[in-house]
Amino acid sequence: MSIEVKDLSFRYGRIVALDGVTMRLGDGAVGLLGPNGAGKSTLLRILLGFLVPERGEGRVLGYDIRREQAEIRRSVGYMPESDCFIAGMDAVTFTAYFGELSGMPRQEAMKRAHEVLFYVGLGEARYRLLDTYSAGMKQRLKLAQALVHDPKILFLDEPTSNLDPTGRMEVLDLIRDISANKSIQVLISSHILDDIESLCESVVILKHGRLAAEGRMADLRAISYSLFELRIKGDGGAFRKDLEGLGSRVDEMDDGLIKVYMPEAGDRMDIFRAAARTNIQLRSFVKSQTSLEDLFADVVGVD
Amino acid sequence: MATVREKGYSHWDGRLSARRFPWWPITRTGIQLAFRKKRFKLVFAGAFVPSFVFLVGLYISERLEDFKAFVRGSDRLLNISPKYFATYFTNDSFLFLIVLVLAFGTGGLIADDLKHSSLQLYFSRPLGKKDYFLGKMSVVAFFVLILTALPGLVLVIFKLIFAGSFKFFLTYPWLPLSILGYSALLTLFFGFYVLLLSSVSKNGRYVIILIFGAYIFSNVLSGILQGIFKIPALALFSIPSNLQQAGAFIFGQKLPHDVPAAWSFAVLAAICGLSAAVLNRKIRSVEVIK
Repeated sequence: MSIEVKDLSFRYGRIVALDGVTMRLGDGAVGLLGPNGAGKSTLLRILLGFLVPERGEGRVLGYDIRREQAEIRRSVGYMPESDCFIAGMDAVTFTAYFGELSGMPRQEAMKRAHEVLFYVGLGEARYRLLDTYSAGMKQRLKLAQALVHDPKILFLDEPTSNLDPTGRMEVLDLIRDISANKSIQVLISSHILDDIESLCESVVILKHGRLAAEGRMADLRAISYSLFELRIKGDGGAFRKDLEGLGSRVDEMDDGLIKVYMPEAGDRMDIFRAAARTNIQLRSFVKSQTSLEDLFADVVGVD
Repeated sequence: MATVREKGYSHWDGRLSARRFPWWPITRTGIQLAFRKKRFKLVFAGAFVPSFVFLVGLYISERLEDFKAFVRGSDRLLNISPKYFATYFTNDSFLFLIVLVLAFGTGGLIADDLKHSSLQLYFSRPLGKKDYFLGKMSVVAFFVLILTALPGLVLVIFKLIFAGSFKFFLTYPWLPLSILGYSALLTLFFGFYVLLLSSVSKNGRYVIILIFGAYIFSNVLSGILQGIFKIPALALFSIPSNLQQAGAFIFGQKLPHDVPAAWSFAVLAAICGLSAAVLNRKIRSVEVIK
């Protein structure tokens, strides 16, 4: 296991940010999901040693998060959420600088900076002052500085924020390449469910500082519930109440589509029986593939 | 699928190692960035004018006969002794030039990192607060020492060269130590002073104003208070007065104010202590908003 935490707790004053989180993350790309204030960024910061947990323990690549922070930081590349750069520097100096601070020899850091800047698509702009970079270029630059020392794990905090659709696709493409082909494990914290769904094999969902769900995406989809998509004619209110009485969650979309999240033990025939009881005509009935959005809504309880 | 890769990713063959001085790249980069500012280059060059003037004074002192017409009655000033060096190091314009250089060259050392949120990038590397602080402090040290210790020792050497003998050195063998000691004091004080003010704002220009403002205001305030209350101890409110007191003590000269030198050392130490406490709170990888 590359990341392992046990009973991890942290609070900012009176506000509980993490409350007894225990998890084990394996290889590949892992998504860290949760609404605002769920504790995603706090978890990343504790793993990097920026914050000292109030309780609990953890290891990253076998290094203790309390005692071996230098070793962790040497092996981890961190791409923060906010824009960060050094005014008056060009991209190649900036990237080499952080390579050197990671422990690379100066010449090697400079050589490597050129390589990673070409990799992230900033090759032509590498001598331009960072002050003149666009939001998308700064995002790629952050990725370059995280990669320069060839980390074993990448922590990406909202890697596609502030990007236009094309820029977002390009950065996702890079992350996919890094995690799939370069044997670098990636832990991505994001609000954008589509990004996580397209990149990650596993997901960790946090809610109010607690672990709400964890596991391989496919397993989570399979074991939690079954999703059915219906179109009906008649009084939806009574039908909805009937289904909810059976333990299902019912969401009605703007276009009239009804999504029924049925518990694992439920029987699909219950839907037909409920329709019969409430004099509802079922116009369409499809067993749907659950998306991460559905899973997230089910676990966290928000759309 | 769109692709932006002009070259593929390749792993690095080398091995990351723990540096003996992990703060050194921070220092080197800080110095380089200061010299990229055009305005700073001009100020920095100008800061060597007092050294040049005192060097000329040294030369003239050894050739008084040749320069009689120029020197006239001021040959008393050109009597080269530790007082000459104390005058060089503690005169108002020299101290102000140091402040000028530091304001323009190092005012943004921490302010820029706060403004552009780059502290988290530093601390995602195997660096501690101590390394970050030492890296930034060494940038200030570089500029202070290059304006104090370096010209001070060069002046001593030129004095020996112009005199053509070691008599001056044998008479005042402790003078180089005084130069180094006072330079170290200025380095330590200005290091804390500049970094403290650099950490209180994200705006580099505002920091420059603060560096000048605190220095000048302390002097003006002290002057006003002394004028009203006629108490010599009120000189302790002035940063330059405290530095001049300490300088006079280190060079073995009469103190400019009727206050024990230890009090001035205590005031300077208190400012450094306060700065260290504030910096310890300000320099952190995560900005915690409670």
